[in-house]
Parts: sequence; structure tokens; C-alpha cells
Amino acid sequence: MKTDKKEMAALLLAEFQVYIKSGFEHRFSHMDHLGNEDLYLSLHDKGDINAVATLLKKHSGRVVTITPYIVDEGFEIAYHFDVYGIVLTVTLLTKDGIIDSITPNLKSADWTEREMQDLFNIKLIGHPNPDRLILDEKMAPGIFKEYMTLSDAMTGAATNTLWEKINEAKGEQNG
Amino acid sequence: MGEIYKVPVGPIHIALEEPVYFKVHVHGETIENVDILSGFVHRGMEALVLRRNFLQNMIITERTCSLCSNNHPFTYIMAVEKIAGVRIPPRAEYLRVIADEVKRAASHLFNVSMLAHLVGFHSLMTQTMETREVLQDVKESIWGNRMDLGANTIGGVKYDLDKEQIRYLIRQLKLIKKPIRELTAIYRDNKIVRARTEGVGVLSKEDTIRLGVVGPTARGSGVNNDIRVVSPYAAYDKLNWDVVLEDGCDVRARALVRLREVFQAIDLAEQCLKSLPDGPVTTKGFPRIPKGEGVARTEAPRGELFFYVKSNGSTKPERMKWRVPTYLNWEALKLMMPGNKIADISVIFNSIDPCISCTER
Repeated sequence: MKTDKKEMAALLLAEFQVYIKSGFEHRFSHMDHLGNEDLYLSLHDKGDINAVATLLKKHSGRVVTITPYIVDEGFEIAYHFDVYGIVLTVTLLTKDGIIDSITPNLKSADWTEREMQDLFNIKLIGHPNPDRLILDEKMAPGIFKEYMTLSDAMTGAATNTLWEKINEAKGEQNG
Repeated sequence: MGEIYKVPVGPIHIALEEPVYFKVHVHGETIENVDILSGFVHRGMEALVLRRNFLQNMIITERTCSLCSNNHPFTYIMAVEKIAGVRIPPRAEYLRVIADEVKRAASHLFNVSMLAHLVGFHSLMTQTMETREVLQDVKESIWGNRMDLGANTIGGVKYDLDKEQIRYLIRQLKLIKKPIRELTAIYRDNKIVRARTEGVGVLSKEDTIRLGVVGPTARGSGVNNDIRVVSPYAAYDKLNWDVVLEDGCDVRARALVRLREVFQAIDLAEQCLKSLPDGPVTTKGFPRIPKGEGVARTEAPRGELFFYVKSNGSTKPERMKWRVPTYLNWEALKLMMPGNKIADISVIFNSIDPCISCTER
């Protein structure tokens, strides 16, 4: 099994070189003492995500889940796939929050794509069933992005005013 | 003739005390289609965990739900251990399996007892729950709680077993084998149970693979994606066992998978108890969690549970995401239900062993 997963991972990486037009970075791999292999890649172009899905479909892979998160430039989205028992995490950057849906290729992406549409207001192109999943229709998309906890607000994190005052005072102290 | 009606089912009721809403399209008594609306118990847990440190999140993740509560911190901890490069002691690997398999047996018995309840076989339900009560006692005696065991910690486990506790566990596990064997025969052969489960809620093997269905729901359609084998962890690779598969593809097959897995869970726990290695149950001290990413998965009672943890080197995670087994199995209901009768809705629904608190986090 140890050799199998390592060999399969190498095979997949070789195929990615062919399938992914704009290229990718093989960030790192993690192999444990039981032979479990996790692969982490980053796409140079978000438009290549369906090429990844096509390749995974060819190998009878499936979507485990998708993790979006906010970065300074927009959103990073980490797609987690299972293929031959390997967990493959493919990350892309989208500055405008618009991406191609991979559900037409991999049905297992259906709910998790709709969830990121609800919670992060990420727009999906070509999703076959883009209805709300978690949020009621009456609520604005991506509403949770705008929430601030009471504890954050109470510590002054709602505005920059507090830090500006502190930095100003620091500057005075430092001459 | 030919008119389709929409019947609302839920959001409160059917099979569980958790809210989900089905819009069932029926033609006479026969289901044509079903829409699923969820989100009633979304608690924003993925946002909450970013405000707690790695240690506190062991407690929060265990509260995602109750029936598979052990797997949430277990899997989260495995992801954190990957980032920190921690390898746990051998004794802890076995102790992790014991806690998880006791939980699995109790969870599966709960699900099949609900099946008995839904088909109106109440004496079978109460007998199943009485048998499960032995496992509840075991959990309370060993871990101090009937549901949340608090068994795992980063670097190992929080509990150990002395000789007397090992003897007690072996005795209690042996005690329930005979009643479970008798109950399984009723679930398998009783005319009422068969009439309500056989050929009901069929999900083909092809659709199971296409939708990425997991756990006993997949194994009831002959698909083996048991994470304990596909991606072994803890001590599973050192134990002697085979994955339980059924090929009926219906509600009955899913129930039989769970009943057979109760025996298997007892057997796995017994194997661990008999070959428990000596040594410490945790690594020394609490590791620093460096900058990095980690994924981990375990086979929860309902199937594959997945955690992704991203750390920026601080005491709190930068991002955490988890996907529970029920999440992938919901879509399968849209294929299982059409063609069946309205009276079958709750039985089919129960057959995926749904956990809504888990799904919505």
C-alpha cells in the first residue's frame, strides 16, 4: 500500500503537467508511517480548476470538501479530493470571487460549492443547482463575512481608532 | 389523474429531533421527487473555532454533535498532529481505537433501533435500546460520560485502562454479543421489518460512487470506501478485520451493514484490549503548532469525517473546515426516495443515519 500511494501520487503529478495549461506549484507532500499520502498543489490560474476536475473524474476521484478563506487579494479556495486513497488539496486564488463550478464534472462538489456561495458570496459559473443551501433566501449572500463578534467589537477591533491612538502614543514615547 | 402535489415534511419531526425540511412531490401515494432545505441549525462553528486556541478546539469540536462526537476531536487532533509532526505512542493508538469502536457500536444500535421504531415494531426498538444501554454504562464507567468521551488529546489520549478496567470492558462487551445476535436475526428475518425495508430506498452502486456517498450507506450498496482501510490510522492496520459490505442497495442492506459492524466494533475493541501495548498514553508536553496545513480523516459511525486545519504559527488556527459524512449522503436521498410511498420517507431518511447538527455545524 505504501508503494502504491507513492506511485499513484507520482503518476498524478505527471498527468497534471499535461492537463494543467497554466502550470501549478507542488507545494509539499505529507506521507505518514502507514503510507498515507497527502498532496498539496497550487494552481497558477483559477481557470484550470475544471482541468483538475476532469482528470480526477478520469481516475474515479471525488470531492471531499472545499475550503474557501479570505486573503488580502481576495479569496483562496482549497479543493480537497480523494483519489486512490490519496488526499489531494488543490488551492487557487480568485481576486474577484468568481470561479467555474466543478459540479458538472464531479457531482460530489454540489453542496460544498453552494455552501461557499452562501457564506462567502463566491459566484459560481455553471453550477447546475445554484440554490441556497444554508442561508434563507431573505438573507444577503456572504452575510457572515460582515459579522463581527461582540468580544471583537468590545476590544476595539471594529475600527482602527484604538490602534491609531496606541501607535501615536508609541511614536511620542519613542521620540 | 396525473396531478403532482407537494407535501411539506419537516422542518420539525421525522425520525430525529433535528430540523430539516423536505418538499416531497407526490403523485397519489408515490414520491416523484424531493427538494431538501437545510440550514436551520447552522451555528457558525467554523468561525467560532478561529477564536479559540488549539487546545480549546478539542472541546468545541466534540460538541459538533453527540452520536459521533468522539470522531470530531479525534480527526481534528490528527490534522493538528500532522502539522506539528507528532507521532503518538503505540498504547495511545490502541486506546483511540477502543474509544471509537465503543462509540460506533452504540451509534449503530441507536440507528437500527430508530428503524424498528419507524416501522412500528416498538418491542424491537426497546430491546435494541436496552442492549445499547450496556454500552452507555461502559462509556460512563470508563470515560465518565454517556456521549462525549473526551478520550483524545493532541499527542495521545486522556485516559488509560488498568487491568481491572480491561477485565470489565471485556466482560461487558461479551455480555451484549448474545442479545445483538438475536436482535440481528429479527432485523434480518422478521416479515414486518423485511416488508418495510427490502427494496425500499434503493441506491445503485454506480450512483453511490458518482455522488461520493460514504459510510454504511455506501457499504450497503457494495462500495468500500471505509477510511480505516483506504487511509488507515491509529491501530487499525495492526488489527485483523475485513470491511463489512452488503449488496442489497436498500434500507435493509444499510441496517444489516450497521448490525454486522456492531459485532465488528466489539471484535476490534476486544483485539485492542487483548494486545494493548505497554507504555505512555501521550507524548511529553504540549507541542508547539507551527505554520502549516494538515488534512485528516477518520471513519465515523456515519462514514468519512474530514478535517482541514491551516495554522499561521499562532496559538489559534487560521482556518478550519470540516466535512461530515451526512453532508455527502443528503443528495443520495433524491435518488433513494422517488418511486417509494409517502410512508417510506422516514424509513429511507433514517437509513442514511442523518446527523443535521453535524452537517450544518
